[in-house]
Amino acid sequence: MSSGKRITLQQAAEIVKNGSSLTFSGFTIWRRPFALVYELIRQGRKGLHLIEVNGGPQTEFLVGAGCVDIWESCWVGHELYGKYGANLSRKVGNKEILVEDYSHAEMLFRFSAAASGAPYAVTQTSLGTDIHNPAYDTLGNAGLRDGKRIPSHKYRFTEDPFYGAGAQVLVPAAKVDVAILCVQQVGEEGTVRVNGQFYSDPEVARAADVTIVMAEEIVPEEYLRRESDLNTITSFEVDHILEVPFGAHPTGMFGRYDVDGAFLKDFYAGTRTQEGFDDFAKEWIHGLDHLAYLEKLGWPKMLNLKANTALKYSTGVKRGQ
Amino acid sequence: MDKEFAKPEEYGLADLLCCAASREVQDNEIVFAGTGLPMVAIMLAQKTHAPNLKLIFEAGTLDGRPPEIPTSVGDARCEMGASRSSGLHDAFSIAQRGYVDLGFLGGAEVDQYGNVNTTCIGDYLNPELRLTGSGGNPDINSFARRTVFIMVHEKRRFTEQVSYITSPGWRVRKWPGGETVHRRELYGAAYRGGPSAVISTLGVFRFDDESGRIYLDTCHAGNSPEQIRDMCQFDLDITRVSGETLPPTREELHFIHEVLDPGQIFIPKVKPV
Repeated sequence: MSSGKRITLQQAAEIVKNGSSLTFSGFTIWRRPFALVYELIRQGRKGLHLIEVNGGPQTEFLVGAGCVDIWESCWVGHELYGKYGANLSRKVGNKEILVEDYSHAEMLFRFSAAASGAPYAVTQTSLGTDIHNPAYDTLGNAGLRDGKRIPSHKYRFTEDPFYGAGAQVLVPAAKVDVAILCVQQVGEEGTVRVNGQFYSDPEVARAADVTIVMAEEIVPEEYLRRESDLNTITSFEVDHILEVPFGAHPTGMFGRYDVDGAFLKDFYAGTRTQEGFDDFAKEWIHGLDHLAYLEKLGWPKMLNLKANTALKYSTGVKRGQ
Repeated sequence: MDKEFAKPEEYGLADLLCCAASREVQDNEIVFAGTGLPMVAIMLAQKTHAPNLKLIFEAGTLDGRPPEIPTSVGDARCEMGASRSSGLHDAFSIAQRGYVDLGFLGGAEVDQYGNVNTTCIGDYLNPELRLTGSGGNPDINSFARRTVFIMVHEKRRFTEQVSYITSPGWRVRKWPGGETVHRRELYGAAYRGGPSAVISTLGVFRFDDESGRIYLDTCHAGNSPEQIRDMCQFDLDITRVSGETLPPTREELHFIHEVLDPGQIFIPKVKPV
């Protein structure tokens, strides 16, 4: 049975409007929806509000391309392949972007709250840090806290009213317009099967108003339903699906392909300046579509990254020195 | 296997840090592993004195026994051999529930009370340099019984007061007012402990139980307590130095370079003279 959820890469990018809030699947340099990130850059999207459990190369590409006005998260970098987010850092220095800092667990709990329909979550993390310093409420300082999509406060502090456990922090649910996921398999009706660690994918998919899933392969829904206990996200939580093989490159995908560390290193080294970023984008993003991008990467590179089916990672990639 | 200490020419600084970190792990502990050198240190402990330790990767691998060193905690190499491959909600809930004994963390700046900064250099609102941000640093530091920081030692990094408290040390700020209080007072029922050691490229530091102030415990070979004090912006307590940091054993070097990180992803191998 076809559900009519299939769309193209171009259509998927058009669902994300100028000014939309946006979040992604994955973790740092793993399973980021890059084919769609590139398409957003090609289409010249502006004013995005990224709300991410953690950032990564996808943040750096969108920020470098000038698509992002607000970044709300806890971390950005390229792990071993680039120690911080040089594009974000440059734009923070130039005051071209607003950054709202939460801790990693706080971001996760904010998405969990949204995913369970709760207005906020309660936690004991990060007490005593400057993350909670009211002077550092960036969106509040900018007068953007409307209490609608952006919560009226960054934090509230309270005491446990039930067991007398002392100081507690309330963090607002993360309200986000669109979640874009990048996974191994999706069924024709939207059922998602993630292999390996699923990071915070179930939470972000459920929290967002619109959830787009791009998969390495669209498989018969019936195939996934034969062993429903292996599935990760429910069919009706997914609004649109698309098939984009190697769509996470240069990030990695468990069981399919490794992170392209050399590509990320080049990006990190080459995009410290805006001119550097623009040159990189000209070479790897503009004027290409996904197939042309893969063709440019070439078979030897892709075969090298391809995971061994028994081990789930590539044995060909040279790591380290 | 050879438990004798290696000679100075047989190991490098990264080996020394890795072994010092590994020795902070006790058997049967549940340890939260970050990417890089800490991962090697924890797996080294697993191979030597702490065979029953349990490893948690922040991205969602629980009780992991990776056959090969993962490049990062999201790596496909985390999953094989684990009790469960899950997600962040499990990893952080388990930590907040109180399961985690020890976490290894890093930082750009540390102050005399163990507050750590990984967010920005200079004024937060007009930073000289924006860094990576907190990641899970404050979370692990809030939830675990002990945390150990591994840091490059430069005078500008060992400061009187960090420019931004990303991760809570022993004397922290109580918001919304901002008064400085002892961590125990602020965390209430959620209090389990805090920073227990800083392993820098010059020595190993610990914290006074009562005051929460940092002191020098051991010096890495070739550094005197006075020299290390001169490399801190605050007045470092050097009255409690217990000696020199123990060098790696030959057994530890074997595991690091032949078993855990033969590709020298995180720990470079010293060339024989």
